[in-house]
Amino acid sequence: MRPPGITAITLVVVVYLGAALAVLQGFVSGGLPIDFSASLMAQVSGMAAGYGAAIMLILMSRSPWLERGVGAGRLSRWHAWGAPLVIILTVLHAFAAVAAWAEVESIDLIAATYQVLNLPGLMTALVGTVILVLIGVTSIRAVRRRISYERWHFLHLLTYLAVGFGFVHQLAGPDLVGRRWLQIAWALLYCYAFALVLRWRVFQPIFQLWRHRLRVEDVRQESEDVMSVLMSGQHLDELRAEPGQFFRWRFLTRETWRSAYPFSLSAPPTRHRLRITIKASGDGTRRLFAVPRGTLVFAEGPYGVITSRRRRRPRVLLIAGGVGITPMRSLFEVIDLPGKDITLVYRASKEQDLVLKHEIDEIAERSGARVVYLVGPSSDTANDISAHALNRIVGDVRDHDVYLCASPGLAARVRGSLMDSGLPRHQLHEERFSL
Amino acid sequence: MSDAALDYQRRIPRITRSSVTASPSLIRWTLRIVTVTLFGAATAIGVNLGVSAPDISPTVVHHGHVASP
Repeated sequence: MRPPGITAITLVVVVYLGAALAVLQGFVSGGLPIDFSASLMAQVSGMAAGYGAAIMLILMSRSPWLERGVGAGRLSRWHAWGAPLVIILTVLHAFAAVAAWAEVESIDLIAATYQVLNLPGLMTALVGTVILVLIGVTSIRAVRRRISYERWHFLHLLTYLAVGFGFVHQLAGPDLVGRRWLQIAWALLYCYAFALVLRWRVFQPIFQLWRHRLRVEDVRQESEDVMSVLMSGQHLDELRAEPGQFFRWRFLTRETWRSAYPFSLSAPPTRHRLRITIKASGDGTRRLFAVPRGTLVFAEGPYGVITSRRRRRPRVLLIAGGVGITPMRSLFEVIDLPGKDITLVYRASKEQDLVLKHEIDEIAERSGARVVYLVGPSSDTANDISAHALNRIVGDVRDHDVYLCASPGLAARVRGSLMDSGLPRHQLHEERFSL
Repeated sequence: MSDAALDYQRRIPRITRSSVTASPSLIRWTLRIVTVTLFGAATAIGVNLGVSAPDISPTVVHHGHVASP
């Protein structure tokens, strides 16, 4: 039995409590009464940015306690929301600190910048800030679309360097200096954040590579731009992967080793084999189509919470859009219910895009479960996946646990419609990620 | 053994090698020890960094008091 993870509510309470303490320290370290000045702004934004940077590292550390309890999708969304805030606070802190220095020295901002950068640890902090800003800019949706996932991912890895550079000057800041216990607590926060990253993002995949010796056994074309990769390895049962979960896969060839891609298992895992199904969505994923048999695979995981453990209602509705069928296909095979209580709705724009259809039909025939294929343009009302349409298919959708995996646009429409129809939030299970 | 299986063994022989003999419980305990050691080291480094951190901010050395950037 796996230990339970930390719940989302517990994590939110702990993180906000820590943030409140950090900001409070920023306010009171300037002395009382509080003087609203550039100096105060520098202290408060500096404390908040420093605390936030460590929290962002922890959220993305892939710690199983977080991934299992909170969910990879939710952690990613919190990171996507919090990271820009940390960058803005860092930049605000830098400008406010230079302004405060200029005010005290009675010099202009350029001279103040020069003097500040000559203080110990400040040049590295500047480099760290520049890296963070660069990462922030390349993560803006319009810019992000113009660069490949591989480049963006590589740039993103520089975050660790940037956060490390920022930490160099933090213990000497006026908010912490002279307060020994605070300095120790602050240093521990950063050391634990980096230890989590090292443990789960570096040691764990290396260990899994050694223990499981995962290699590509076969690559099979499912459609023009979708293929399945079958991998073999040892002791795969020890991974305790479940249908519906995903791994981050890194195929160790000269062309593909730099990037890790999140792909769901498209078949229930066995003791010796795992299978994923991939859609080419860019040059990087297209390169995976040429991965030769025998290639070693570096796998981080399993992650994801859309497993059959989440089921609470007597009936299940699985909704898949396009290649979102992969986790649904695995769940469809293993959900422990009479066939009549399971329905799979599979949406695709063309008949050829219904990948794994033959397997789904086989499972449905065996179990008696129902499959509804919705194929054609979304303008056709017959392909509607609103709550109203789903009610027509399955009866009252509120009697069901609903599992959803589709493109972000389709998933948002279905989610919105289901919520509006009164489906309780805890009955909707979905993992949101996109390349 | 079928032709396909023979072909499979020729191409990726390492997959069919006998597995590493360490038992799952030994592996689990080793990983726990690695985790505890890692966090023990992180604690030692963190405490050491905190204890040896400066008592006076470089900005205070220059001036009475101003925010350190």
